[in-house]
Amino acid sequence: MALNRKIAYIDLSTGKIETRPISLEVRKKFLGGRGLDAYLLYNHTEKGIDPLGPKNVLMVSAGILGGTLASASSRTHIMAKSPLTELLGSSNMGGFFAPELRWAGFDHLVIKGKAEKPVYLWIHNGEIELRDASNIWGKTTTETQWAIREELGDEDIKCAVIGPAGENLVRFANVMTGIKDSAGRSGMGAVFGSKNLKAIAARGTMDIKIAYPTDALEYNKRFIDQIVSSKVNQTQGTLGTPFIWGATNSWGGIRTRNFQYNQCEYADDIEPERIDEIATETMGKYHMAGCFGCQVHCRAKYKIPSGPYAGKYDEGPEYTSQGAFGGEPDCKSAVTVLTGNHLVDQWGVDNLEIGSIISWAMELYELGILTNKDTDGLDLSFGNDEALLEMIRRITFRDGWLGDTLAEGGIQASEKIGKNSFSYLIQVKGMSNLHSDERATPALALGIATGSRGSDHLRSRPAIDLYHLPEEVLRKVYSNPVPYDGPLSSEHTSYVGKSWQVFWQELCYMGVDCLGICKYHTTFLGATLPNFEDWSRVLYYNTGLEMSPKDIWDVAERCYNIERLFNLREGLTRNDPKKGDTLNHRYFDEPCRRGAPDVIGAKIDRKKFKKMIDEYYEHHGWDENGIPLPETMKRLGLDKEPSHLV
Amino acid sequence: MATEREALSGAESLAKTRTYGKFRCHNPSCMGRITVEPGVTQCKCPSCGLEFRVAWVRPNFPRIRGPVWDVNRRIAQEAVTEREAAKAAKKEGK
Repeated sequence: MALNRKIAYIDLSTGKIETRPISLEVRKKFLGGRGLDAYLLYNHTEKGIDPLGPKNVLMVSAGILGGTLASASSRTHIMAKSPLTELLGSSNMGGFFAPELRWAGFDHLVIKGKAEKPVYLWIHNGEIELRDASNIWGKTTTETQWAIREELGDEDIKCAVIGPAGENLVRFANVMTGIKDSAGRSGMGAVFGSKNLKAIAARGTMDIKIAYPTDALEYNKRFIDQIVSSKVNQTQGTLGTPFIWGATNSWGGIRTRNFQYNQCEYADDIEPERIDEIATETMGKYHMAGCFGCQVHCRAKYKIPSGPYAGKYDEGPEYTSQGAFGGEPDCKSAVTVLTGNHLVDQWGVDNLEIGSIISWAMELYELGILTNKDTDGLDLSFGNDEALLEMIRRITFRDGWLGDTLAEGGIQASEKIGKNSFSYLIQVKGMSNLHSDERATPALALGIATGSRGSDHLRSRPAIDLYHLPEEVLRKVYSNPVPYDGPLSSEHTSYVGKSWQVFWQELCYMGVDCLGICKYHTTFLGATLPNFEDWSRVLYYNTGLEMSPKDIWDVAERCYNIERLFNLREGLTRNDPKKGDTLNHRYFDEPCRRGAPDVIGAKIDRKKFKKMIDEYYEHHGWDENGIPLPETMKRLGLDKEPSHLV
Repeated sequence: MATEREALSGAESLAKTRTYGKFRCHNPSCMGRITVEPGVTQCKCPSCGLEFRVAWVRPNFPRIRGPVWDVNRRIAQEAVTEREAAKAAKKEGK
């Protein structure tokens, strides 16, 4: 049965390991992956715990479709209280780890306590063992994975590991698998490090029995056709995600020099086609690779062509590295982007957070808020490629006053730096924004302001809002599986109907995260990609679980509300600039200075933004402070939480 | 339920409306569809005049690589100057 995988409760302080089945009742309420993780987090943590203390609880999971015949069912989800935001910590990665975890017998790991000395977990065919990791502590992410494979004598072992950043408790450290697949956001690597947990290794040969194998295969053909026939995925299969950065920069939606500009002009050397040329030159024509069960193959393989790291192999870069090491610090060299990408992959640190925080420091340096004394003589000017790479090292290893300060995350660093530095920090709920600039796109601005793990494009971004789709197409997407007859607008500069789009996308992304499939296989970058209707079928054929599209929508809404309950418990309030559903004042006060004619001058209108938030809360069934109403809790079956079902 | 499973989903039916060989202008207030001759490396939007560099995902699949920087920068600056002048004139008129 695809539904017979278990939850393992692992106490690192005592070494006690207990496994339990997941009941059908729990499956129907939360499915798996991120949704069930949210339930477990809310039920197994106490209010106000130290995220880097032993009382924090770490969830590692596969989605309910992980490792089945379903397309791109590769995703691993990791959740805990975030050391970066002190709110919900949640991160998701591709690769091959989650399917292996399921083949080894488990869907969810609930990891408590703190080991006395470095350990790693070895999970194989229903067994879990704690093993000494003293000899691998200090190694890079790639070295760690190979050291474990060598020690256990199996090259097919898949690992989720931390690098030096996680060991050094950098509050935005990654958990990684493979060369570059990263659970990057919200500092889950630091939670691993705080528990002395270096890695989780999995290997399994326990078959997952598919409920209706012939139907599942036949339906998957249709599903795959939807995926590979979309123009956006064909572009990704050629250029990877960098094409998104390129297209966005073209009209003026890329933040540059922290947040001073909204376009990185004349950045031809870091455009996707240039990066593709380097990958072709260094790895040959066929240099694109994919995660488990995926046909898109959006990940390039490359070697750094020159500079101090010339010849080093890596994968990517994702568009996040283009933004973090290209646009934001205004460094326009492909070699710098590829090198920065390599360093964060090897050291296990979130590219997006570290690039944003260095760019913020560069602006503070430009303003004289940070001086040469603070930087130990480093010229932290925008466009200084060497300083950028040096700061990645200093932060990872907490080297010097500034490296150590920035390793604490933006809000904590701003409190230490003082001098109005917080005013320049581009964050929501303590997490830095993606490299995109949302001043000309109200729907995208609303999405980052309300994301449950902090500023985020992967929680609710209605990216298809940028395509100028006819209203009837938007209506077809956004009126399913629940009817919606409110306003919708094809204009992405408009505020009309955007709150519904963000609400819908939130539940869509929660849906894929529960199923454990990739967001590039749903209504993220393309309107013709699968969502609730298609998932109902793929879920049934693979697992035998009969749930209508509306049932899956309800699960997503329930799980999103659990995340909200967690955040409210930990101190979220609507207008708090550090923990609220709001944006840095610069979105409202500083107009865009570059880009297409009508983008110049664009900024977010405060009154209209407030109205969007009000509408968004209303769609959720929350009050004006963003707190779920009693009738909402009852409707979703959450009125007795925490209920400790598992 | 079995019949429902055979029917096209909303996303599948939308796929029939895809257009190939064209792309949309990257000017948000234009978004006009642009068709280009095979192999071209630069194009001008017939509606708004912005110019773009063109790349080819496949021989029949063009995409915008990026703006022609100098041209689009000039057009944007002219538009902004015009807009500001109109605003100032309106203010004076009051």
